[in-house]
Amino acid sequence: MKYDVVIIGSGPAGSVTARFAADGEAKVLVIERRAEVGVPILCGEGISRKIDEWKIIEGKRWIAGRMDGARIYSPDKTCVTLGAEQAGDETGYVVYRDIFDQELARNAIKAGATFMMNTQAIGLIKEGDKIKGVRAKRFDGELKIEADIVVGADGVESKIGQWAGIDTRLDPKDLETCAQYTLTNIDVKDAYCDFYLGKEIAPGGYVWVFPKGKNIANVGIGILASLSEAGRAKKLLDDFIAKDPRMKNSSPIRFLAGAVPVANPVETVRDNLILIGDAARHVDPITGGGLTHCLEGGKIAGEVIAKAVKAKNFSQGFLSEYETRWKEAFGQKIKRNYLVKELMLDMDDKTFNKLANALKDVKFEEISTHSLVKEVAKHLPISAKLNALIKYRKEIKEIKKK
Amino acid sequence: MGKPKANVDKKKCLACGGCISVCPQDAISWIGNKAEVNPEKCISCAICIRTCPIGAISGEGY
Repeated sequence: MKYDVVIIGSGPAGSVTARFAADGEAKVLVIERRAEVGVPILCGEGISRKIDEWKIIEGKRWIAGRMDGARIYSPDKTCVTLGAEQAGDETGYVVYRDIFDQELARNAIKAGATFMMNTQAIGLIKEGDKIKGVRAKRFDGELKIEADIVVGADGVESKIGQWAGIDTRLDPKDLETCAQYTLTNIDVKDAYCDFYLGKEIAPGGYVWVFPKGKNIANVGIGILASLSEAGRAKKLLDDFIAKDPRMKNSSPIRFLAGAVPVANPVETVRDNLILIGDAARHVDPITGGGLTHCLEGGKIAGEVIAKAVKAKNFSQGFLSEYETRWKEAFGQKIKRNYLVKELMLDMDDKTFNKLANALKDVKFEEISTHSLVKEVAKHLPISAKLNALIKYRKEIKEIKKK
Repeated sequence: MGKPKANVDKKKCLACGGCISVCPQDAISWIGNKAEVNPEKCISCAICIRTCPIGAISGEGY
């Protein structure tokens, strides 16, 4: 079996890469270890309205509900609102991730990509140091898939990078460990997504309530793995639900676990190899959101792969156009928000309450972490500002060293 | 008998992959779409046990 490119993982990053590579006439195979694209879901299912501008997905079947804004609650329940009234538009959607992923896969297949389910990558095919494809397990048999480019779109648990010599292991302080119920018969009235902060509520993370329609919502939690104990995420989530009057008569129709990298991105390009999506740590370290990066990064990766196939050049140098372009698109934002995440970890509940109090009447012009961070920066205590400066300078020094 | 090694309860595991991503020894892999610890690589650091959001991993003597 010989392809131009083999993509490991059929999530949004894998499928969008596949689509744009196939659009550029590359011969593409996507392998997926699971039996169904998008199942089980591992996601809070919120996405920014930016998705409309990219025209990467058609129809409406994947939309569960509109998102009109966000409310962020500090530990003492002071509320900061980022609303659609201020932004003048809807802010995003809550989606059905299984349908969403399957629509992206359909688009890739329409463009000419082949998908193979129940097929798990178990190692790289190498000749000396040169990557020549992947070995995979399918039911009881093993198969060799030769390809000029291997794309690791294999999620937070990525092995492709490791096998190629890129250290993708995560420090526990760079991972959010998550649990989520989809609760029905819950008393939610508007289309606002709610976020709850606090050391007692969700250490190093937050609890979210994302409405999926009338009286149904995803209620989930992410906590930092370095502050976690066995089963703590689920326990804290259960505690939150037990105390919230809106959820008194609710019942779950789904429960899932998740893991979200909140790290600095890794190297994403080697000879004959690309990493993308969660495997590349392309996640906003403040919100834990990664979907838009998958779509944006996937398009870039697909286009660069198509060029490489035409030029028959699969070297790190040629493929590095992908890394340059994703860094321009969202790499800087991830680096900056990683610093903010580190800073937030140093803040206690009292500081969060003070900040929320200072921001509670602010009219945000834009609903983004950027506009929020800008406002927060204005109101930070001096000590926190100093901390940020020290961390920032350390970071710059490290970059200069490289 | 040394320190207990990590062991995934496959009936509980919801396959989020968090344990695999934080294992410093790359000792955890997907086997049949559930996480499984290779006891020969496991160094009993318990990072995966603490990370699991639903408490599906525990220490076990070998």
